[in-house]
Amino acid sequence: MLSFIFRRLGLLIPTFFGITLLTFGLIRMIPGDPVEVMVGERTLDPQMHADAMHRLGLDKPLYAQYVDYIGNLLHGNLGESLVTKTSVWTEFKTLFPATLELALAAMAFAVVFGLLAGVIAAIKRGSIFDHGVMGISLTGFSMPIFWWGLILIMFFSVKLGWTPVSGRLDLAFDITPRTGFMLIDTWLAEAADPSANAGAFKDALMHLILPAIVLGTIPLAVIARMTRSSMLEVLREDYVRTARAKGLSPARVIFVHTLRNALIPVLTVIGLQVGTLMGGAVLTETIFSWPGIGKWLIDAISRRDYPVVQNGILIVATLVIITNFIVDILYGVANPRIRHAK
Amino acid sequence: MTNANMQNAAVPAEDAAVNYPSPIKEFWQGFSYNKGAVAGLIFMIIVVLCAVLAPLVAPYSPIEQYRDHLLTPPAWLDGGSSAFLLGTDELGRDILSRLIYGARLSLFIGLCSVLLAMVPGVVLGLLAAFFPKVLGGVIMRVMDIMMALPSLLLAVAIMAILGPGLLNAMIAIATVSLPAYVRLTRASAMTELNRDYVTASRVSGAGLLRLMFNTVLPNCMAPLIVHATMSFSSAILEIAALGFLGLGVQPPTPEWGTMLASARDYIERAWWVVSLPGLTILLSVLAINLMGDGLRDALDPKLKRAA
Amino acid sequence: MSLLEIKNLSVEFGSEKNPFRAVEGLDLIVNQGEIVGIVGESGSGKSVTMMAMMGLLEGQGRIVADTLQFDGKNLLTISARERRKIVGKDIAMIFQDPMTSLNPSYTVGYQIMEVLKIHQGLRGAALKQRALELMEMVEIPAAASRLNAYPHQLSGGMSQRVVIAMAIACNPKLLIADEPTTALDVTIQAQIMELLVNLQKSQNMALIMITHDLAVVAEVAHKVAVMYAGQVAEMAKVPGIFRTPTHPYTEALLKSIPEHSKGAHRLSTLPGIVPGQYDRPSGCLLSPRCPYVQDKCKAQRPGLTAIDGGVVRCHYPITAKEA
Repeated sequence: MLSFIFRRLGLLIPTFFGITLLTFGLIRMIPGDPVEVMVGERTLDPQMHADAMHRLGLDKPLYAQYVDYIGNLLHGNLGESLVTKTSVWTEFKTLFPATLELALAAMAFAVVFGLLAGVIAAIKRGSIFDHGVMGISLTGFSMPIFWWGLILIMFFSVKLGWTPVSGRLDLAFDITPRTGFMLIDTWLAEAADPSANAGAFKDALMHLILPAIVLGTIPLAVIARMTRSSMLEVLREDYVRTARAKGLSPARVIFVHTLRNALIPVLTVIGLQVGTLMGGAVLTETIFSWPGIGKWLIDAISRRDYPVVQNGILIVATLVIITNFIVDILYGVANPRIRHAK
Repeated sequence: MTNANMQNAAVPAEDAAVNYPSPIKEFWQGFSYNKGAVAGLIFMIIVVLCAVLAPLVAPYSPIEQYRDHLLTPPAWLDGGSSAFLLGTDELGRDILSRLIYGARLSLFIGLCSVLLAMVPGVVLGLLAAFFPKVLGGVIMRVMDIMMALPSLLLAVAIMAILGPGLLNAMIAIATVSLPAYVRLTRASAMTELNRDYVTASRVSGAGLLRLMFNTVLPNCMAPLIVHATMSFSSAILEIAALGFLGLGVQPPTPEWGTMLASARDYIERAWWVVSLPGLTILLSVLAINLMGDGLRDALDPKLKRAA
Repeated sequence: MSLLEIKNLSVEFGSEKNPFRAVEGLDLIVNQGEIVGIVGESGSGKSVTMMAMMGLLEGQGRIVADTLQFDGKNLLTISARERRKIVGKDIAMIFQDPMTSLNPSYTVGYQIMEVLKIHQGLRGAALKQRALELMEMVEIPAAASRLNAYPHQLSGGMSQRVVIAMAIACNPKLLIADEPTTALDVTIQAQIMELLVNLQKSQNMALIMITHDLAVVAEVAHKVAVMYAGQVAEMAKVPGIFRTPTHPYTEALLKSIPEHSKGAHRLSTLPGIVPGQYDRPSGCLLSPRCPYVQDKCKAQRPGLTAIDGGVVRCHYPITAKEA
């Protein structure tokens, strides 16, 4: 098992350096003067311009600049925002929990309903339920989620008034961020001071529901389809027949003998959805004014805050490859054949 | 196999024709078996016709502003006017006309970005399959890196560098979808390379280019065509997403996603401004995906049995 | 009383309008401690019969029978829950390919113990003890360490031993072996057959041996049913059936065994294949392939007629012709 982890880790590191090359190159491909790009100032006299070039190391040869960049990264120096002058890492740290909370809620929604729908559709193959699940999931898969968000807001927030339109929490509440997860923070605050913070948890939850549904829609569709086809494949396996010949209950045959094996490819697909989720977060956070990483990056792009764009993308990409790495490991745990492979 | 061949050899020629329908007929039988695929095809034919014949079909110019008719509801609602079937937007432009002209743009960008990704993707994939050691390794590592970035984020990053615009949107979307083509081509070419017919061709002295494009590539086309369909639909979604974020095609050019960018402000007053462009995107993407499913069934008998 | 009694069993697949009868009017009686061979080409309905009896067709096939009785219980009318108490406990089955018959995600120990837990309620040390005992009964070396092995770590022969251990876990009254040696190496085949026969004797189980190879059952079975296209062509006692086959099909099968045709220049074969869904002849199902075919055979389907020690489905049984 350990050697399996190390083998995967061996693939992770070159990928990370590849991404640094990409983000390093990205910023140098922007047309225009590099000082202007990195410092954000338009008119500098030649002396100051040269100073800035030197300070930023832009006068060095390209490979030396890259070495500097990596050196900075390894020291945890991710540069600072041109607009707010705070370090990119600090900004990321404050905003990330919001995205993580949203992504986890979306994933929970997608996994629970996707697995359930996929499993039932496979068991009831050819039924109306099966056709319904397949139709809905293909629609979900084709959904422009930014529009889907608008439609949900129009219906649930504007027409029915059930959910708030945007943000993470009503402005009336003043909650001290402890974990960064609004659900936990409001819950703690309500427990600490029930009179002042009454209803804060429910408010946070109501804020979360629509964005989570929107962000979870495509993963839901993908998981439901994958689960169904994977279940159908495993149900045809000889060992499922063996399980039935052992006199096991249908529930045991499905959940112990079929689902366990059917989940292996589904797990991979769930892992791959992390990337989709980060892309979707950009759109979802924009629609719901959700103060997370996606909105942060989009705002940085529109403000031409290039250090944020550059290293924000680096952080997100690193997160994605680390998640994929973890999924790979889980895959090994779930599948003995992979784990023991030499 | 041998048995079947012998049997067919024994039957008269006209029966053999019955046994083997022409590839096109066979394809159509497989495709039309899937009702959803046929529905998708019909819908897309209508969309394509609208796009091509936009100046004839659209009642108005897509950028003409009718200042007296701001936010007119669709014709069937109270206050609607039969002059504007699907209503008008905040600047008094006819939504139907904008949707029709928008189809042109979405389909055009989609098609171009599919081609822009497919051609280099296929070449790189073939190279990676034919030279698996050094060149193949390098190509695949680079593709892994590109795959590590969420596609929309990568597209957004590219747009951030190149700046908004039609051509840049195409480049961004093509770049994002490149790795999938490379992987797919490489994987299917690798399988084909082990087949005897490739060895036979090699032995008979076929050059590298001939081997790559004449011998191997045609046998990798089925999965590529299916994937191209699916990536066409995701390209349409991505253009719309970029447009929505204000990074794609710039106003006043009518583009489905861009039409939604400002729609958020009219959520409470004019649902049609919000609903119709998105519905058009959804239906088009759904239609293409249905067609993709049908294509897969028709082109790949193995998958047809599977699920 | 016989252990298993099947009368006039039919199994249909496909739509109501266009059904395909995989098994048609099958009769079979198995007594306690008896070894019965069921022989036939692929697609002749051997496995389907047994799967139908055990309720493993999962609603895909429609099952009709006059009698389907096991150990005094009517398998046609009992509930699924009741049947699951019998299946895996009193009736157990061994399948063709041991490599795919075991669940790749669980250790072999888990898969053996699962049966014991469900049917006998064993727990803890007793459970493990019994599992080890079973592994030793099927002659798996180093049984204790193999309990934690995954199926992919075992060879085909070893896997089949595990499958057998699982099947005999609850001392079944009837063991069905569906081509238990077909997927194995020739050297292993003999070992597994020997193991099965020894277990049958020591446990005094009834054993139904499904095979396409008459030679396999010739040595061990008490009785053989030869199936063709979903019907029993001939059923008779051993060794009578081998000495004087009455059905042309049985005769053809016997001729195709290499040992039986020593001295012949070519191994005898029966041309053609078992009729499928669409090409069933209106007369005797064997008529297109039968070397002795007559006009009556093409027109009319024969029923079962009693012969010495069994039954045969033929208008012109061979002994009658010769007599």
